[in-house]
Amino acid sequence: MNSPLLQVAGLRVAVGGKEILTGLDLTVRAGEVHAIMGPNGSGKSTLAHVLAGREGYEVTGGSASYRGQDLLAMAPEERARAGIFLGFQYPIEIPGVSNVYLLRSALNARRAARGESEIDAAGFLRLVRDKARLMQMDESFLQRGVNEGFSGGEKKRNEIFQMAVLEPTLAILDETDSGLDIDALKVVANGVNSLRSAERSFVLVTHYQRLLDYIRPDFVHVLAGGRIIRTGDRTLALELEAGGYDQVLAAAAS
Amino acid sequence: MLPERPWRTAASLARDGAGLPDWPAEWRASALARLDEAGMPDGSDEEWRYTSLTAWGQRWSDYLAAAGQPAAITLPAVPSMQPGSVARPAAIHVQVVNGALLTQTGATPPGLFVGSLRQLPPELRGRAAELLGKSAGLPPEQLVDLNSALVSDVILIGTDAGTSFDGLPVHIHLQGSGSPAFSHPRILVDVARSSRLTLTIEHSGADGMLANAVTQAWIGHGAHLDLVRVQSLPDDGMLTDTSHIDLAAAASARITSVDLGGLLSRQSMTVVLAGAGSSATVDGLFLADDRRHIDNRTLLEHRAPGTTSRESFRGLADGHGRGIFNGKIIVMPGAEGSNAALSNRNLLLAATAEIDTKPELEIYVDDVKCSHGATTGQLDANALFYLRSRGLDPAAARQVLTAAFLREALGHIALPELRERLEARLQEKLGGGVRHP
Ligand SMILES: Nc1ncnc2c1ncn2[C@@H]1O[C@H](COP(=O)(O)OP(=O)(O)O)[C@@H](O)[C@H]1O
Ligand SMILES: [Mg+2]
Repeated sequence: MNSPLLQVAGLRVAVGGKEILTGLDLTVRAGEVHAIMGPNGSGKSTLAHVLAGREGYEVTGGSASYRGQDLLAMAPEERARAGIFLGFQYPIEIPGVSNVYLLRSALNARRAARGESEIDAAGFLRLVRDKARLMQMDESFLQRGVNEGFSGGEKKRNEIFQMAVLEPTLAILDETDSGLDIDALKVVANGVNSLRSAERSFVLVTHYQRLLDYIRPDFVHVLAGGRIIRTGDRTLALELEAGGYDQVLAAAAS
Repeated sequence: MLPERPWRTAASLARDGAGLPDWPAEWRASALARLDEAGMPDGSDEEWRYTSLTAWGQRWSDYLAAAGQPAAITLPAVPSMQPGSVARPAAIHVQVVNGALLTQTGATPPGLFVGSLRQLPPELRGRAAELLGKSAGLPPEQLVDLNSALVSDVILIGTDAGTSFDGLPVHIHLQGSGSPAFSHPRILVDVARSSRLTLTIEHSGADGMLANAVTQAWIGHGAHLDLVRVQSLPDDGMLTDTSHIDLAAAASARITSVDLGGLLSRQSMTVVLAGAGSSATVDGLFLADDRRHIDNRTLLEHRAPGTTSRESFRGLADGHGRGIFNGKIIVMPGAEGSNAALSNRNLLLAATAEIDTKPELEIYVDDVKCSHGATTGQLDANALFYLRSRGLDPAAARQVLTAAFLREALGHIALPELRERLEARLQEKLGGGVRHP
């Protein structure tokens, strides 16, 4: 049995003195797709942010390791260079910094960390064009400021585009499906599915089971009250869809 | 310490004015007389609330003490002085050292005059005298009068009515030699009716320099001026820079002002929308890092109906730097149906740095649309995290965001090479090896 890519054990996280994650366990192995579902405010984004290294969260207990390394001791950029990608629930607009510039800087930062030289211009252009086509994005988006003036759906698509270019080992996608119409959802799912491989793992944070019709997860977890209260296969998502969170929460409480 | 009436001492020392035509003599004498009357501004003057002239005066007094001794002239290279072929130059470059024209490259086609007052054809003298004469009383009066009194040359750029020189930019390089030197560059710009001109004025020089520049520009009926002003003084350079730009009916101006260097830099820019339907856009950028003191005062005066102005300045203060923006819009009686928008956004990157911003509106008519606003803040923490989550280290992320913020101010520069050069300089100054594609 291979050792886990990501291992979160008893993780407790507080924000502004309030405990949001209350002892969370999660194990993700190479090649697996995990869905984390839960009601609004249950701590899904908090988990995603803490795994990506965002400031402002106080870890009060537990641990998280990535490839056997203490993840929580790594700076956000170190995590990124080690292959972790966070798809933001609310992608940030950065006027004046073009998409291609960001991607080239991000790729070169990874390469520099591995002791490689900068990516050559032609190879880079080919890569971003291929991935833009995969995401059905017009090439004009490449030169535009990062998410600048993008619609909600375009921003989400851009997150997956970035993921496709950066080819992470562990992608944490925070509600990438919310706010997408059905066509955009299919494009996003197609982007994710095309990257699935035996080495690459995904944590899909989602509020609705709809996404899971297109991306079949290996595991579904229910996050409530800051902990994983149930884990199952994809039929758990269907159960949630039919009965709502209340029923599952009540069952877990009894 | 400065002697009493230092302008008199300076005027008696100045032999540089020799060779100028006789007729500005009276104009210079009257400027001297006004200085005798007014003296130099002191700390009690609201105009000089944020910028003390003490260090400036000290350098002037050093200059007077050293005057008469030959100055060792060390100057930076004038950038991109490639005039193209003689028959079809790509640009005209004029190098002005310590206020006097030293070199000029690029032939001027018919309809365009670029040169010194010393070379002025007789038929243009009347107009030049008329325009110079209008400088009496222009604010800040003492600095303008000081320039008039001590001027050693006047650089003129003039177009004939109906001509267009969009493809032939005129670059004026104003350089101050150090050791020390006090120079008074003077520029007259006369864009005749229905003509178009692209002009850049760059201030640079060697350590120890002190300059007091004045530019007057008239944009005739339906004419257009594209003006880029770049201040790239050496780290201890000092500059006071005054410009007055006057627009006739249906005239337009697009102005970008960039302050990147110097120890003390004080700009006063006045744009007068004097003719109906005239319009001006002014973009500005200042980088008050290190120990720089950069003070920008702008005044946009709407004097005629249907006039439009849009002004946007972006500033940064870091280290022990201090950036000041004082922008005022006045809509005078008679300027009905005018539009004015003024904004100033600043980044304050260190607790030891300072930004003072004061946008002001003064409106004397009802039927106008005006807006103004100013913000001073830090880099957006969400944007920083976003970039770091993609693998950029914190220094690179800060540099990328800072450059992006400031670069917005360069977006209206019409000359691509100039814009790219300034972007590269900005990038370099912000300490990034990261170049923008
Ligand atoms: N910066 C913050 N300050 C205070 N409370 C926060 C902050 N961020 C999140 N929270 C709170 O933490 C809880 C979990 O939020 P979040 O992780 O965003 O939930 P989810 O993504 O599952 O909707 C919520 O009660 C939310 O209000
Ligand atoms: Mg969330």
